[in-house]
Amino acid sequence: MLHSEIVIVGCGNPLFGDDGFGPAVIEEMEKLTLPDNVTIQDGGAGAPHFIFNFLNPEVTKKLIVVDIADFNGKPGSISRISGKDLKPGAYIDPHSWDGIDQLCRIRDQIDTTVVLCQPSKVLKKGDADVDMELSEDVKNAIPKAIQVILETIGVDYGTTINLQEEGRQPGTAKICGSPESS
Amino acid sequence: MSKVVEISPTTRHEGHSKLVLKVNDAGIIETGNWCSITPVRGVEKLAVGKTPEQVPKIASRVCGICPIAHNLAATEAMEASIKCEIPKDALMLRHILQLANRLHSIALHDILILPDLYLPGTETKINPFTAEEPVRTVAKRIQRLREIGQTIGQIAGGDCIHPRNTRIGGMYRNCSPLAKTKMYDLAKEGLVLAHAQMDLMIAILRNYQAREHVDVGGMKVALPKTLGYHNQGYLATHAFYGSSSLDECPSWDINRFKEVRPWDWYMGEMDVTLEEPRYPIGGTTKLGTKVNPQMEACTGIPMYDGQPVEVGPRARLAVYKGYDEKGTVGQNIAREMEYTDSLYEMIDCIDALNTDGKVVADYIPDGDGTLGWASNEAPRGTDVHLARVKDWKVQYFSMLVPTTWNFATCSAALTGAPWQLAEVIMRGYDPCVSCATHMIVLDEDNKVVAQKLIQ
Repeated sequence: MLHSEIVIVGCGNPLFGDDGFGPAVIEEMEKLTLPDNVTIQDGGAGAPHFIFNFLNPEVTKKLIVVDIADFNGKPGSISRISGKDLKPGAYIDPHSWDGIDQLCRIRDQIDTTVVLCQPSKVLKKGDADVDMELSEDVKNAIPKAIQVILETIGVDYGTTINLQEEGRQPGTAKICGSPESS
Repeated sequence: MSKVVEISPTTRHEGHSKLVLKVNDAGIIETGNWCSITPVRGVEKLAVGKTPEQVPKIASRVCGICPIAHNLAATEAMEASIKCEIPKDALMLRHILQLANRLHSIALHDILILPDLYLPGTETKINPFTAEEPVRTVAKRIQRLREIGQTIGQIAGGDCIHPRNTRIGGMYRNCSPLAKTKMYDLAKEGLVLAHAQMDLMIAILRNYQAREHVDVGGMKVALPKTLGYHNQGYLATHAFYGSSSLDECPSWDINRFKEVRPWDWYMGEMDVTLEEPRYPIGGTTKLGTKVNPQMEACTGIPMYDGQPVEVGPRARLAVYKGYDEKGTVGQNIAREMEYTDSLYEMIDCIDALNTDGKVVADYIPDGDGTLGWASNEAPRGTDVHLARVKDWKVQYFSMLVPTTWNFATCSAALTGAPWQLAEVIMRGYDPCVSCATHMIVLDEDNKVVAQKLIQ
């Protein structure tokens, strides 16, 4: 696969409300000029079997996964955890391979970081409809997530605050698990 | 007296489905219902009012396995509605992208079916994840084939999962000569591996077919020679790629298609009267559980000429190449034969690609509301998308995806098999259930009477 030293993958399905956070962060990051050793990828619903199990530790040294997770935070809060802290998931089958399980298999060879956003509304399987809109809280968290990602990969892009749309209240997104919040 | 056994959820495929089987005293299936229990997604409703550029991107998100087929079928359905012909080099890039996706998908299916099969000459079922030889070498080859497919797809489509290079009217960018060479090199490497993998898989499948008995969860089950046989017809719209309403001779006819309600087709409410705790994984559904396939099924039943049909690799080979082997083994072998077919065709397409050629149509109309359709021969079969575009807004969009076609056909193919092998038959269709789930009900005059969401 055409991966580089640093791979950033946004996971989630934009059809399920805030689950589209990962792809939305990648879409925003495409506007940035990033170093040549950085690949950004919209993993959609297929990152576990299309990306994670094709990463070559001889090429890729750092992996950042962007997703949503319920960690009892305020909606739009960002949390960054190391891949080493992930608990092994269960392998079911390759078509519905748990992403966490795959990350646990590669984390010892590739420095893995997971950047998570607390969702405010996620459509679940069983909901009759689909919704392509991110909630306001989660949309506002995109610049913050990008800052955290850039910090993690050691890119000083100045500030990403100007990525925020005009009129958006700064400070609505908070980071958990970083020195800033403690 | 008939007993009812339920296998839920079925495993080693994408999405959620189950098998409800009415079996005789010898455990042979009298009536089998394979139905999707993946909840309905209202993608088609969401598409209305969007621009034609947005809808293929939405369509590609319904599934994490075959987004490329959905993206291409939706794009071409829009083009069919607005009557936009795309340049030849754009078409070549789309062909390469689609064949790359197929290569990856066949390799993935090998991983899914290997645990049902035996290492020839032994009584050992194959665990594709074992570190032991000779399986390790095979697993690495499968992984390399998947990687080759995905990398070629990434070059031609701009992204390996949700392709971003496709657009209404063609493709955003052509490849560089260097990228063309890279794709060619990868395809040549893949061809050698695909030949070896196809030969091995066919040998393993023939070995399975020759067995008298197979083991399922410690149960010794007699293997019928007619495993997975059915008498339904085949539907394929192209040997490799697809067709559309813009074609001079379209190979799919909307007037021959009709979708009926599952409650006319599936069995009604019953109690589970046979439970087998030894069945992998975790046993079958508990005794006394109420099952109701009629109401639990989340798909309609599509018909072509009034009958369910099979779509997929065997259908393509049967319609276009005279392939005639029935049954589950015949179906899996047909899929293996598509390994090399897809790479030979891909190499031809790469050869034919002019990297200096234009890839966007000179004129892209806004659409006058004409109903257009496009089919794409996805790895699992014919994926038909229908669209109506007027003034650059989508008025109507519908997806008729491969596994939806196969639900009723596979249900028919279950009859006569031991119930313990029902999942083996189902896996022969390489089901991808998530995107198969939608429901449109037509009356006898083919008018939509309900778009029912079963909660």
